[in-house]
Amino acid sequence: MNETSEKRQIAWVIDLNKCIGCQTCSVACKVLWTREESEKAQWWCSVNTLPGKGTPKDWEGMGGGFDDAMAPKTGHQPTPADFGGGFDFNHEEVFFGGSAGKVHLEPQAPREGRWAMNWDEDQGAGEWPNSYYFYMPRMCNHCSKPACAEACPSGAMYKNDDGLVVRDEEICSGSRFCMEACPYKKIYFNYERQVAQHCIGCFPRIEKGVAPACVRQCPGRAMFTGWLSEDGPVRDLVMKHKVALPLHGEYGTSPNVYYVPPLSPHPLNEDMSINAEKPRIPPEELEAMFGPEVHDALSRLQAEMDKVREGGSSELMKTLIAYKWQELLGPFTEDPANIIATG
Amino acid sequence: MKVERMDNEAADLKDPASAVWSGLTAENISLAPVPLAAQPTEYIRVSRADQPYGETAEASATAVGSGDQLYVRLEWQDDERPNGEFADAAAVILGSGDNIATLGSDDTPLKLWYWADDRDGALNLSSSGPGVVLKNSGVSVSAAASRDDNRWAVVLSGPAKEVSDSQMGVAIWNGSNDERAGLAAVSGWLSLDMEAS
Ligand code: SF4
Ligand code: SF4
Repeated sequence: MNETSEKRQIAWVIDLNKCIGCQTCSVACKVLWTREESEKAQWWCSVNTLPGKGTPKDWEGMGGGFDDAMAPKTGHQPTPADFGGGFDFNHEEVFFGGSAGKVHLEPQAPREGRWAMNWDEDQGAGEWPNSYYFYMPRMCNHCSKPACAEACPSGAMYKNDDGLVVRDEEICSGSRFCMEACPYKKIYFNYERQVAQHCIGCFPRIEKGVAPACVRQCPGRAMFTGWLSEDGPVRDLVMKHKVALPLHGEYGTSPNVYYVPPLSPHPLNEDMSINAEKPRIPPEELEAMFGPEVHDALSRLQAEMDKVREGGSSELMKTLIAYKWQELLGPFTEDPANIIATG
Repeated sequence: MKVERMDNEAADLKDPASAVWSGLTAENISLAPVPLAAQPTEYIRVSRADQPYGETAEASATAVGSGDQLYVRLEWQDDERPNGEFADAAAVILGSGDNIATLGSDDTPLKLWYWADDRDGALNLSSSGPGVVLKNSGVSVSAAASRDDNRWAVVLSGPAKEVSDSQMGVAIWNGSNDERAGLAAVSGWLSLDMEAS
């Protein structure tokens, strides 16, 4: 492994104003990487409605990462129940049982305590007419200071030359300290193979110039990828316009997935007049996720949007709209259909 | 510790509950936690500073040679069956050097004949520090366990020629305390009197 900090770093930007919660990214990842029976409950890319419990359930309270002095913080290992899912369904009964229209597709697990990725879809928060929610895709952040790799006693995890945090499954001894130490709780355990598993950043695609499946498949044009150190939308949104922020930067791992925070309409007063004083999504809730920088980012987004509405032109808005789909892919524009699989 | 020879009882020796074991005198062994300072990552040292591990302080061991195999029967008290992520486990440690308390080191890796309650059979591991293990291939080892009255009895067996310096050690992981990798209780070296008949 090359230890220099000069290595290039791949990054993602996810525009939460454009994500429609369609789960195409999570399914694109699922069908590519976690189709084994023992991987049934794994969602390396998950999309949850926020406010909500997230995936795994209540992960933000599970610890890990680093404190202000950069000492590791004790974390909790999420359990299969916290992740939920991996259900068997009553396909036989619904499709071949002769009771069409009477039974519906349902997990074959006790109703009580059922839980899975995005189980609280579209519940959100707030009271009508001011209810609100937004969607948040999450995958491994391929952190620049990966708490997971630093916790691993076996030396099985490392940052590859593209800045992706990967694991050598031959060396992983299944000790699961990575799962405790990752503050984002994005590592799963494969109980059959006795190894931990997480998003590999589609490294075999990256090496062939193909964008990660989540980015390439996103119909909302909500996900961007690219090198953080090279010109392109990712670098512009993070460094120049400063509208893309890390999730829970205070966890201390220097994550490389950035989010454009969601703007929202104004709430309504009781007499149904518009309360122009504030947005419907409480800014303090966004601050708890993205830090105090979120307020400036939201103002900048709003100002640029207003500029365009008044007939002006905005480089930031053009970048976020991504008129050309290829712009989302950064340098990884190869068509996977043109890649010949070997070995 | 005397290694009795029993050349015709191989089948029975694999069973920790077999009567062949009850006639033999077991040796009492004391164990101590792998030192916190020796844990290989800062995360483990920080997170386990106030979370005791490796508290299985005693076990007993009996050893028998049969054909070219060594059979070691371990027994210890374990009050609670794990219901979390990690299984109860134990290992016979083989090798030499003064790094048994840390389950070996880079320079002097140790061999572990490793049994865990959640897998069939045994693993033959090479350990070069707490939690730094690799699977050894080529040498076949086996394990069988029984549990009675909150006590585990486990027989681990493998080729007697794997023993170096006529000594062995023992490690125990308490699954209900989430013990795995370097979170273990380990004995010192016990000398094996292999010539006994
Ligand atoms: S595919 Fe795109 S729009 Fe759909 S959930 Fe994922 S990020 Fe959001
Ligand atoms: S998100 Fe978690 S698993 Fe991914 S690199 Fe960061 S600490 Fe490691």
